[in-house]
Amino acid sequence: MSNNHFTVALAGNANVGKSVIFNQLTGLHQHIGNWPGKTVEKAEGTLHFKGYTIDVIDLPGIYSLSTFSIEELISRDYIATKKPDLVINVVDASLLERNLFFTLQLLELETPLIIALNQVDMAKKKGILIDHKKAEKILGVPVIPTVAVSGSGIYEMLETAIEVIEKKRRTDPKKPRYGKEIEKRIEELVELLGKIQLRYPIRWAAIKLLDEDKEVEKEVLEVSPKIVATAEKIRAELEDIHGHACPTVVSSERYQVASRISKEIQEITEPLKTPIREKLHTITTHKIFGYPIMLTTLLTVFIAIFTFGDFTSSHLEDFFFGLKPTFDSFLGTGIVGELVWGGAIDGIVGGITVALPYILPFYFILYLFEDSGYLSRIAFLMDNLMHKMGLHGKAFIPVMLSFGCNVPGCLGCRIMETTRERLLTAFVVTLVPCAATSVIILGLVGNFVGIQWALALYIINLIIIFTLGRIAFKALPGEPTELIMEMSDYRIPHMKTVLNQTWFRLREFIVMAFPLIIAGSLVIKIAEVANLLEPITRIFSPVTVAWLGLPAVTGIALIFGVLRKELTLIMLGTLLGTTNFAQVMTPVQMIVFTLVVMLYIPCIATIGALVKEFGWKKAWLITVFEILLALLLGGIAFRLLII
Amino acid sequence: MELHLTDLKNGETGVIISTDPSSESQQLCRHRARKGWRKHFRSARFVKRLTDLGLTPGTNVTVVKSAPFNGPLEVCVRGSRLAIGRGMASRILVDVKR
Repeated sequence: MSNNHFTVALAGNANVGKSVIFNQLTGLHQHIGNWPGKTVEKAEGTLHFKGYTIDVIDLPGIYSLSTFSIEELISRDYIATKKPDLVINVVDASLLERNLFFTLQLLELETPLIIALNQVDMAKKKGILIDHKKAEKILGVPVIPTVAVSGSGIYEMLETAIEVIEKKRRTDPKKPRYGKEIEKRIEELVELLGKIQLRYPIRWAAIKLLDEDKEVEKEVLEVSPKIVATAEKIRAELEDIHGHACPTVVSSERYQVASRISKEIQEITEPLKTPIREKLHTITTHKIFGYPIMLTTLLTVFIAIFTFGDFTSSHLEDFFFGLKPTFDSFLGTGIVGELVWGGAIDGIVGGITVALPYILPFYFILYLFEDSGYLSRIAFLMDNLMHKMGLHGKAFIPVMLSFGCNVPGCLGCRIMETTRERLLTAFVVTLVPCAATSVIILGLVGNFVGIQWALALYIINLIIIFTLGRIAFKALPGEPTELIMEMSDYRIPHMKTVLNQTWFRLREFIVMAFPLIIAGSLVIKIAEVANLLEPITRIFSPVTVAWLGLPAVTGIALIFGVLRKELTLIMLGTLLGTTNFAQVMTPVQMIVFTLVVMLYIPCIATIGALVKEFGWKKAWLITVFEILLALLLGGIAFRLLII
Repeated sequence: MELHLTDLKNGETGVIISTDPSSESQQLCRHRARKGWRKHFRSARFVKRLTDLGLTPGTNVTVVKSAPFNGPLEVCVRGSRLAIGRGMASRILVDVKR
């Protein structure tokens, strides 16, 4: 990098205000993508400060640099091998002990480091006072008290960062020293490791070998199997001395150091009264009151979003279709005009009328909930229910999202810890009836057959989700992980962060879904113009007519449904020449049709999301499976209902 | 008194004895590491996660409450509030004064 262009990484536990600092630093100059080949989000941004250009990377929020989750692996690989010019460790001042546990690991990783002691105001309210000068002396790196939400301390933090990078300020990072028995053995390994070439700092690698770290072990094994054998012997010795598995011994020792340091630098006085946020926590996780509160909150949110969405969506649509005559006068109503309008513009309009009115408020409220801390309470309450489908509490969040739209649901699977859990959740998510599916369930069956049948369809859907989730959970190789998460204190959401996150997530949705919807619209429009729809209907008729007992034209409607599910209903109306479906379809046909639409395929945007997160193979597997499932169940339902 | 974390009453505090379901016999553990690494890996991962979050042997842990219908436990450890799945919690052994 040139003289005034630096890379700085933000690292720290989850919920310490890291993303607030990131947003304070970079504003809208952000780029959110995935880490190469991983379903982990990578947030990068650029900042200009005093003539310097600083690239800021927001590493995932983690508690350790081990191999528990992909996030931990990515973070430590980034720090150890990409070697950013500086790591800013964001530390929650009110949870010093656990945060220092992570800080100590950063020190061991020998990366240039400064510490942002964040949320000092909250800590003070809790009665925790920290002597940051003393912390600086003990740790040997600059410690800057900050309050990210108000921006206080951020300027000093940046100044210090520059000073450290440019070596105008000398730091003397003090690596933690552990107990005698373990220290002796670390030395032994350090000596051996000193003879070989590694990507990692030697002492860190030595400790990681004691930590039974599979990744480090693998790398060492390639160079010198002897060292790994020695490490195994040493681990056995330590296990005999302490009576615990060696990784536990290492963590315990590290926590002892963290605990000692935090006792030295903080002064705790008990707060006089229980703060409101504590009361709020107690009531929102209460075994009786927690559930009604959650249900009311979620229902209110859903109703609000759908009312807002419906209103905005229809007005936007009116507006766009009001433009059609003007458009026609430009390109004419010929083939070109029809292709451009029916294909491209129809696709864009469709995307806009769905994305903006529904997805935007959805994301906004999601991040509002996340930032305030309520999402983790929901996960806590729903853990048991999610276990019934082989998942744990956190999975409720993507599932909940999917009732709005499957795409954010699929992308939301990133919050799960392991690849297995992510895939399982995504599979369940694609079976959840999204807003568009609900339009059909309520608009067709609810309106023309009866609301009890619409409810029955929802219940059938839930049964299918639970059954298949359970089966997939048993069938998929690998071990299940259980819920383990922090429920950090409630706080007032930081609007700028929430809005930024909403905006970037919305942009991600648009970039991914729009091209697919437009291309899909175009393909179908071309087929229509080339008079291919009629023959396609005939090819499908053995399935649609003979097996499902539906009118032949439903074949076309189902094809359109791949773009967006509510199009099935719109197309059906157009093809049958009426929206009074009771005149042209029997109740059984309507129920079977809706059942098939509900399950038959994740829409094209959802398939896109699956491909993005899990690759082509798994995306196709899920898609094909769901088509077959829908046809199978549709046919069975038809036969059961006509009896 | 030695108890599993799930046996604690709300508000009760215990000192962690072990988070490792296989720690009764380290010999067995090492044997397993060679024979069935997957099973060992699983328990190692689980223990690692707990210790990383501060549930190391010798630490005080308070059970605040548990979610209904066999839901997860809310525990307080080293000043932070964690939710731990019931299955995991039942493998944590604590010493309680009663």
